[in-house]
Amino acid sequence: MNSNAKTLTVTVDRFDGDTHYQTTHEVPTRDNQTVLDVVTWIQQHDDPTLAYRFACRVGMCGSCAMNVNGEPKWSCRTHVSKVVSGDASLSIAPLRNMPVLRDLSVDMSEFFDKWTQAVGYFVPTKTKDDPLSEITSDDRARAKANQSIECINCGICYSACDVVAANDAYLGPAALNRAWTLMNDERDGARQTRLDAVSGDAGCHNCHSQHGCSTYCPNLLAPASSIAGLKRQTLMNLLPWGPSDD
Amino acid sequence: MSYQTITTDILILGSGGAGLFAALHAKKQAPDLSVTIAVKGLLGKCGCTRMVQGGYNVALAPGDSVERHFMDTIEGGKWLPHQEMAWTLCQTAPERIRELENELGCFFDRNPDGSVHQKAFAGQTFDRTVHKGDLTGIEIIGRLMEQVHARGINKLEEHRAIELIVSSNDGRIAGVLMIDMRSGEFVLVRAKTVLMATGGGPTMYRYHTPSGDKSMDGLAMALRAGLTLRDMEMVQFHPTGLLGGEGTRMTGTVLEEGLRGAGGYLLNGNKERFMFQYDDRGERATRDIVSRGIYEEMRSGQTSPLGGVYISMGHLGPDMVASKFSGMVKRCADCGFDLAGGLVEVVPTAHYLMGGVIVTPDTRTEIPGLFVAGEDAGGAHGSNRLGGNGVANSTVFGGIAGDQMAEEASSIQHHAEPDQHLIDQAIERNLNPMRLNGGSIHEIREDLLNTMWEHVGVMRNAEALSQGLTKIRALRTELYATGIALKARSFNMAWHEWLNLESLIDTSEVICLSALARDNSRGAHFREDFPEAGDLNSSFFTTAHQSRDTYVINRRPVEFSRVKPGESLLASENALPEEVIS
Repeated sequence: MNSNAKTLTVTVDRFDGDTHYQTTHEVPTRDNQTVLDVVTWIQQHDDPTLAYRFACRVGMCGSCAMNVNGEPKWSCRTHVSKVVSGDASLSIAPLRNMPVLRDLSVDMSEFFDKWTQAVGYFVPTKTKDDPLSEITSDDRARAKANQSIECINCGICYSACDVVAANDAYLGPAALNRAWTLMNDERDGARQTRLDAVSGDAGCHNCHSQHGCSTYCPNLLAPASSIAGLKRQTLMNLLPWGPSDD
Repeated sequence: MSYQTITTDILILGSGGAGLFAALHAKKQAPDLSVTIAVKGLLGKCGCTRMVQGGYNVALAPGDSVERHFMDTIEGGKWLPHQEMAWTLCQTAPERIRELENELGCFFDRNPDGSVHQKAFAGQTFDRTVHKGDLTGIEIIGRLMEQVHARGINKLEEHRAIELIVSSNDGRIAGVLMIDMRSGEFVLVRAKTVLMATGGGPTMYRYHTPSGDKSMDGLAMALRAGLTLRDMEMVQFHPTGLLGGEGTRMTGTVLEEGLRGAGGYLLNGNKERFMFQYDDRGERATRDIVSRGIYEEMRSGQTSPLGGVYISMGHLGPDMVASKFSGMVKRCADCGFDLAGGLVEVVPTAHYLMGGVIVTPDTRTEIPGLFVAGEDAGGAHGSNRLGGNGVANSTVFGGIAGDQMAEEASSIQHHAEPDQHLIDQAIERNLNPMRLNGGSIHEIREDLLNTMWEHVGVMRNAEALSQGLTKIRALRTELYATGIALKARSFNMAWHEWLNLESLIDTSEVICLSALARDNSRGAHFREDFPEAGDLNSSFFTTAHQSRDTYVINRRPVEFSRVKPGESLLASENALPEEVIS
């Protein structure tokens, strides 16, 4: 099919630092065309003022996520044919739940601050002078850690989460998912501290299990399950016989 | 023109493996000093370490040794590597991998017995590539990034470095001039020590793999600052970049090496295999040979519809392919290609620049206080980089740089006084495109990418290179006559595209000149008019530096400080160490 003669009507939600507005663009369609390509075409050929962000082009960096027809997606890995509607139109907007800096570029600093608040970083118990840990490939805890490890912090789950939308203190699915991964990492030395950090007012118990995060995660992770794991663990922790890992 | 001034003790440019490692080491060594990372995109998200699929070469297993890793690196680099750089790389890698796991939280794949799994990778005599599935870079950068976020390191995100500023008194580094890409304002960051780790990234070719933020700004700044670069003709092409046609950023992105290793076929436009015409190993030959084979097919007109060749996996069973290469198959599927069962068009794609700034093995440069690490530094790889030595290089030397910078900055009382003239001049130069009438810089960009691909690419000869040089210089003239219509500096992507192009044109000229100066074929550099490798014992490397308005290319003899051609550090070929035998 040669669709090069046709165009796509693209509506973009804009913000110039003061005012929110929309622009509409007629973008030539191509056989091989992602949403990132559409945004690039607009900026290069129609409206140089459009601001957006991308880096790796292949779904590894998580810089280019945006709302496409109301759903958060990596723009670099979303083929136009999979999202375009019958009337050949497309709507593009920045991720929600993060302050918009300009047009499609959002401020992710709070997202990463929460990652740190959730103790979403490894706390060592060994040093570089020690040998690598021997952990067999069928280790149960490791298998659980691996289930949720391949997060690229693109912010899609955070953007999809209605609890974040309602409560801006909530740590959100990405940070909690990372915390859960580390709770299953037997090499980590701060699991109690982390459990305390994620079970406070802004923590895992805010989650209403609406699964927006798991629905939209492009890496097919299940942050909602991770959060459920954290909830279980904080509750087990209150029992007189102490925590269990399941 | 006014600018804002920020003062820090230690400044790091770039947040790939080198930059993040340097920040962590510097902060650990000198917790009371302020450490600042400036990055063109978001911290840990731009740059190329994150995109590493293969893994991390390190001699860990019984039977392997630093010497063996070193010999593979030297032979892979066709005897051009700086041997002390290569030795430092191989010797430090084991400590670095333990640091990554034990202190920073990375976790790499394991064998059934609990030891770390090391896979085979092309060009190596031992299975030594540590990995996390095929997403090793994400694991490394993810862990480094969250540590940097947690440790009180200052961040300047979406800040583009535009000039290295030295002191007018003694030539010591005084800081770096930047553009805050959000506000469009100029920012001078003063520092006692500076690391340049912006990553090379040969994005001046029509087909290229590095991330979109890469534009050789670091090496262009280094040239303007008078630093000497080496090995700039050495551009590694990956044979299988996705070919999606014009107008899509998917074009050029890597389809992984393992596809050919697993038995994938390359087919020309007639859907016939062709690699056995070029090498007995067929599709499993090394990157440079496969790239040249594909290029030859393309030149003879036997192309797929978009002008490349096909990769075909279906004969291995689509289900097997989909399970073994799930990430790759999904990526292709998202973008509309059926890798598991169909034909996907591919083309050689510029992947890595072995060349870079001449540094000492402890990452120092000719400018006191300025350090360079990662892909911006030359020497460790010589004429070719082994798969798996890239991320080892950036993390090893990034860590060394962090230690060195912390030590040096701790001993310095006062910041060097920045040369005001340099600052004013740089601001003027960067504002130039705003003063000219707006024109089409996309055409200049397309012309540059096509010129480099056609004249300075996979196969080179004197005539084509000379034509390329003329074209590159003409494009510079054209760029300097073409402005940016959009005058507001805040979030002005067109302005930054112009600045990207300027860096790419400068470094393209140096690549072209260096390629002309090497009248033999080594590793990634292939001269059709000089197809032989030349005498190994009299190996030279090319150097390039800027003198007024021209680039000066020289040759320097390779110093065989540890091993000479024909010799080996291994007791005898394929010998295993005694402890393994006993």
